[in-house]
Amino acid sequence: MYMVDTHVHTCLSPCAELDMHPAALVDAAVRVGLDSVAVCDHNSAENVGAVQRAARAAGLAVIPGMEITSAEEVHILGLLPDLEAALALQSRIYRALPGHNDEEAFGVQVVTNEFAEVLGFNDHLLSGSTTLTVDEVVGAIHDLGGMAVASHVDREGFGIIGQLGFIPPGLPLDAIEISRHTTMPRARALYAPRGEYPILCASDAHRPEELGGAATFLLMEEATLEELRCAFAGKNGRTILGGGRPMEDLALHILDIAQNSIEAGADTIRIEISEAPGEDRLEIKVSDNGKGMDRETLARAADPFFTTRGTRKVGLGLSLMAAAAQATGGRLSITSSRGEGTTVIAEFKLGHIDRAPIGDLETTLMVLLAGHPGIHILFRHRIGKRSFDLDSADLISSGIDVSTPSGLAALRRMLRKGESDLIERRQAGGASGSH
Amino acid sequence: MKTSEASRHINGTFVAGREGDREVLGGYASDLLSDVMANSREGDLWVTLQKHVNIIAVAQLNGLSGIVLVNGRTPEPDAVARAEEAGLPLISTKLQAFDVIGILYSLGIRGRRQI
Repeated sequence: MYMVDTHVHTCLSPCAELDMHPAALVDAAVRVGLDSVAVCDHNSAENVGAVQRAARAAGLAVIPGMEITSAEEVHILGLLPDLEAALALQSRIYRALPGHNDEEAFGVQVVTNEFAEVLGFNDHLLSGSTTLTVDEVVGAIHDLGGMAVASHVDREGFGIIGQLGFIPPGLPLDAIEISRHTTMPRARALYAPRGEYPILCASDAHRPEELGGAATFLLMEEATLEELRCAFAGKNGRTILGGGRPMEDLALHILDIAQNSIEAGADTIRIEISEAPGEDRLEIKVSDNGKGMDRETLARAADPFFTTRGTRKVGLGLSLMAAAAQATGGRLSITSSRGEGTTVIAEFKLGHIDRAPIGDLETTLMVLLAGHPGIHILFRHRIGKRSFDLDSADLISSGIDVSTPSGLAALRRMLRKGESDLIERRQAGGASGSH
Repeated sequence: MKTSEASRHINGTFVAGREGDREVLGGYASDLLSDVMANSREGDLWVTLQKHVNIIAVAQLNGLSGIVLVNGRTPEPDAVARAEEAGLPLISTKLQAFDVIGILYSLGIRGRRQI
């Protein structure tokens, strides 16, 4: 399973911060637990190589890319198979990009190496529009073996729907991207009600702290363009599991905790989300039968600068969840004993104005059930007296084999139905009745 | 006033849809197509520099009386074909948007968006 941010800028983009140099970008990406990023500066790929070199030692996969501005002022991401293709696309774009940068007006466009040393300043008007139409931009990307993604379709400015009213029928986009302002379920309903386009969540980060603000979860074997292509198409067992905002959505905090459980050797994880509107209370409980923690580790578990994970330098997971709970006047508690397992309970005031959104539980469950088929997951989402229950041990007897594309599709349908039925009842005020 | 008469005043040339000449009831100017969909009104003459084929669909959707492309822009071939098919007046002028709108306004054409 890969957590990917398919849209990040570097200090080459005039609107990005200077401290978004390749090494800082890589550090920030690793810190938030990303497995891969696509570097997409405006109309240029000059810093892609430096990010790739900076990322090598960190084990972060870098997909070369570019965010191209069409003549209609639509932003289209080109994701490319390798640096050579990205530079070839850059030549094509430079030929169609009039003007020179004015650093006072638009900002500096810093070309840098992996050691944060400035190599020079790009003189093209990278903040400008090319003379290429959206069709020509998509064509140019495809000619070089790349994939074309409509950037932030939920934004009016430079989003394809804002600029052109609707996505031109027949435009061969490979995916559409949403920003952190739109949730996955809402995006599906608004932009791809019949599954017309794969949907990616990406941060569009211009500053290091924005990295991973939104991310997509993909089931694939490695972070390459070919694997992404298969995942977008749902081919060869690859698929997009979901997406969201890892720093905000409670659903993704839950996923993070469950992944800790898997790292701790658990083979059974119980997830219970209980919304009690009458008591203005939300409780999230994740318990596992992993190796547990000793007293000393337990005492430090919610410390943001502590982690046992090799892949992550800062344990954002539990500390973020604790902060989210405390912001509503609630709290996070952890009980654990060596050899027996760990239980994390987060309590929130349900109606508190600062209560983080639950987010897309379908993503959480798709990642856990499809990404870790050997783990026994017991899930319960309760609203009032009703609940949506799922036991991964029952999937096979329900005819769902997650190792097959049809099984993944069936699982997705089941989760979507279970959650939407439950939420409809919540919206109808139907917290009464029994399960 | 008909679209063809408005076109003469702004030195416009019909690129397509001449036979679709119709009454101009008002005017709207914007280059964000989503905004035009939301705010233009039936019978408006739309002044824009966008020339993507989607402009035809937007004009049809809101029943606009025509599209004026400014700065001498020529539309994409598929936009011309769609406008011809729809009988929608598609006009190109060398004038810039500011002058086009000034002239149309002096002829009595007004924006009608209700705030």
